[in-house]
Amino acid sequence: MDGTVDDHPTTTDLAPSLEVRAMRKEFPGTLALDNVSLSVRRGEIHALLGENGAGKSTLIKCICGAYAPTAGEVFVEGQPATFSTPKGATDAGIAVVHQHFNLVPTLTVAENLWLGDPLPGRLGLVDWPRVHARARDILASLGLDIPTHAEIGSLRPDQLAMISIAKAVSGNARIIILDEPTNALLPHEVDRLFDQMRRLAARGHSFLYVSHRLAEVFQIADRATVLRDGRNAGVFDRENMDRRSVVEAIVGKKGALAERKTHSQARPDVVMQVRDLAGARTAGVSFELRAGEIVGVAGLPGSGAEEVLSLLFGRERRKGGSVTIQGKPAALRSPAEAIAAGIALVPQDRLAEAVFHGQSIRANISMPSLARYLREPVLRLINRAAESTATREVATRMRVRMPGIETAIDDLSGGNQQKVVLGRWLSTGARIFLLNSPTAAVDVGAKAEIYDLIHELAADGVGVIFASTELEEYPLVCDSVLVFSGGRVVGKLTGVEITESNIMTLAAGGDLHDDH
Amino acid sequence: MTTERRFDWIGFLSRYGTILSLVLLIAIFSYGRPEVFPTIRNMFNILNQVSILGIIALGLTVCLVVGLFDLSIGAMATFGGYFAARFLAELDSGSVWIVALVVVAVLALAMLIGMINGALNSYLGLSPIVETLAMSFIVTGIILGVSGGRTVSSNDIPMAFQLIGQGRIYGIPAPVLILIATGILLWLFLEHTQSGRNMYAIGGNREASRLSGISFQKYAVMAMAITAACAALGGLVAGANLGAGRPQGVGDTYLLNAFVAVFIGASTLRPGKFHVLGTAVGVLLIGVINNGLSVMGVQTFWQYIVQGSILILALISASMNSVRRN
Repeated sequence: MDGTVDDHPTTTDLAPSLEVRAMRKEFPGTLALDNVSLSVRRGEIHALLGENGAGKSTLIKCICGAYAPTAGEVFVEGQPATFSTPKGATDAGIAVVHQHFNLVPTLTVAENLWLGDPLPGRLGLVDWPRVHARARDILASLGLDIPTHAEIGSLRPDQLAMISIAKAVSGNARIIILDEPTNALLPHEVDRLFDQMRRLAARGHSFLYVSHRLAEVFQIADRATVLRDGRNAGVFDRENMDRRSVVEAIVGKKGALAERKTHSQARPDVVMQVRDLAGARTAGVSFELRAGEIVGVAGLPGSGAEEVLSLLFGRERRKGGSVTIQGKPAALRSPAEAIAAGIALVPQDRLAEAVFHGQSIRANISMPSLARYLREPVLRLINRAAESTATREVATRMRVRMPGIETAIDDLSGGNQQKVVLGRWLSTGARIFLLNSPTAAVDVGAKAEIYDLIHELAADGVGVIFASTELEEYPLVCDSVLVFSGGRVVGKLTGVEITESNIMTLAAGGDLHDDH
Repeated sequence: MTTERRFDWIGFLSRYGTILSLVLLIAIFSYGRPEVFPTIRNMFNILNQVSILGIIALGLTVCLVVGLFDLSIGAMATFGGYFAARFLAELDSGSVWIVALVVVAVLALAMLIGMINGALNSYLGLSPIVETLAMSFIVTGIILGVSGGRTVSSNDIPMAFQLIGQGRIYGIPAPVLILIATGILLWLFLEHTQSGRNMYAIGGNREASRLSGISFQKYAVMAMAITAACAALGGLVAGANLGAGRPQGVGDTYLLNAFVAVFIGASTLRPGKFHVLGTAVGVLLIGVINNGLSVMGVQTFWQYIVQGSILILALISASMNSVRRN
């Protein structure tokens, strides 16, 4: 095990405010948590780190009573506190502040602070002066200067975060779990939030802080617990919290040993050239994509990696720069223009953005290429026989397991649905594929099949731009990876350099040759 | 995946429940009044009675397919009936060509209004329910203003126009033929053309269709134009049938029944999906209920109760099907 176990006497009070012992959580078919322990001291800001799927969310849900653990115990201030309902955890002083802060945007600050409690009344009407007076007291006790009449929707993200925390503290929460609170925050807003957190910690409140952003963790956390594959992978004190060991604990040794893509199928001809591309949160992005090449774009949420895909597919208008496709400038003002220019997109949220629910596999495959099956150009009647033949070919080539092409897409497994979504672009003549987490929510077997299909596309000379929320996929899929941070490309990795830890290090704002 | 599965009653009822109740009602009425109800004459009678509702409901199906809503169809039906009669009265000509020209002109005007609806709903993203309600006020106001509240009388309307509502070809009433033609055209359009397929795509998942290069704006405008034109056509047939151009009260009777028919249709054969065949079943169901109960000598209020109950049953069967999916 990396790091040290919690046995150093420090200046903070030693009685753990929150303690998790030997937590185990099984789901049908998977073991989400295996013998996980965690100890948060009073007045401590404790970071909980790990990749997607490492078990952080499951652990939090077990602590706050949303899930019933299979085995293991939770203690609050030394008292047994394993809860089967969220209410039990709230009563014991545990509060969870979610990424989106659970506030109602159309109500005022005061109304949100009272949300869930009965409002004080007078003669059967709401006593508004009292509502605002208590809201002002709550905010003042945290040193927050926010008008209680303000609508939540008009406030800054850091103010929202603080109001959520204030709400938790006013409900007598001693242990506050923050789930990715800084995702929507700008750097100076993050600083303000951290100042407030330190002030509360000094008063004896404890924080369990979940984040992907290592730089921020190093800035704020007193200690850190790392989870990997549902197990403890290290506990770090402030003194031994260096970037290299933390990253190694997060990604494990497997990062270097995983079966990586060994040979590139890139050809010399450039299919797409991007120069100084700029969008709402990106600037100065330049790269080339060759036929048969698979380029990864990686970064933490909000780093700009995903935005590049949106800009190239015309979902977002670009603010500057140029894109040339097969030598011709491409405006890419809408998805329709991008498709006409030979670009395909597999969006991240399959169910919301890609699947035509209730429709057949045939209709789902042929949707963007219906113009190919017209009998004549005036009435645009469709030749159903030609459509069926062509879509059946696609489904076969994509190895979709199905009763037949008239089966509703909703009746397929996630992996097979994704093969249909990928396959729909084979008929549009697309030469550039933008893939955003193409293996999201599919099972392990289907993942391998989708990797194979991506490599087959590349073998056919298609240029692929690949993004994923799971860093371990980049070495398996990509020939090279552009790593984004703060809206810019901060590094390019090729071949054996593509490792999870290298990507993580660059994405967190570090330097590959700096070990500290 | 085993074949030893119990019969899927929920699936069966959500697909065939409405057709089953249609057959059941026909059987009951035929048993009750065997000498009146199950005759060819009465069947044409039913079709004739529902033809106007059918034309309007078929048009409404198109705008629901793209996920929009149109509450102005009642006003548009009145618009079609009144302005066709008024233009013909002003032109004062019995020529078939003039009649044809006026019909085309009225439908074109209706399409224009529908396109405005579509543009406001898609480009500006207004709420279709409120926007089309507002449009129906405007259209009603225009009709009242132009007419001064006076009906165009039968004497001023050429016979060639009245034949659209009263004539027969090979014994089949003209409105029935128009209904069948509208049904076939819209079925071909929605099921077998690229535009129709794109409309279903938009109604199914607007973001996914945008990412497939399909323009919501274009098809919203197209769909609402078709809905408005069908509503005006229905009103025009009603006016021809009546032999009068009434400035009010024509379309209102069809507005809610058209929605009932289309929603019954959406729980027929393809649960949760608006389609021409389903709408046709919904329209027939309404026609059979109204005709059958009056043939049986049952009081009018029962028509409302039976129709409402069947709609609720249809909605329940459709929702049970979608609950099961989740």
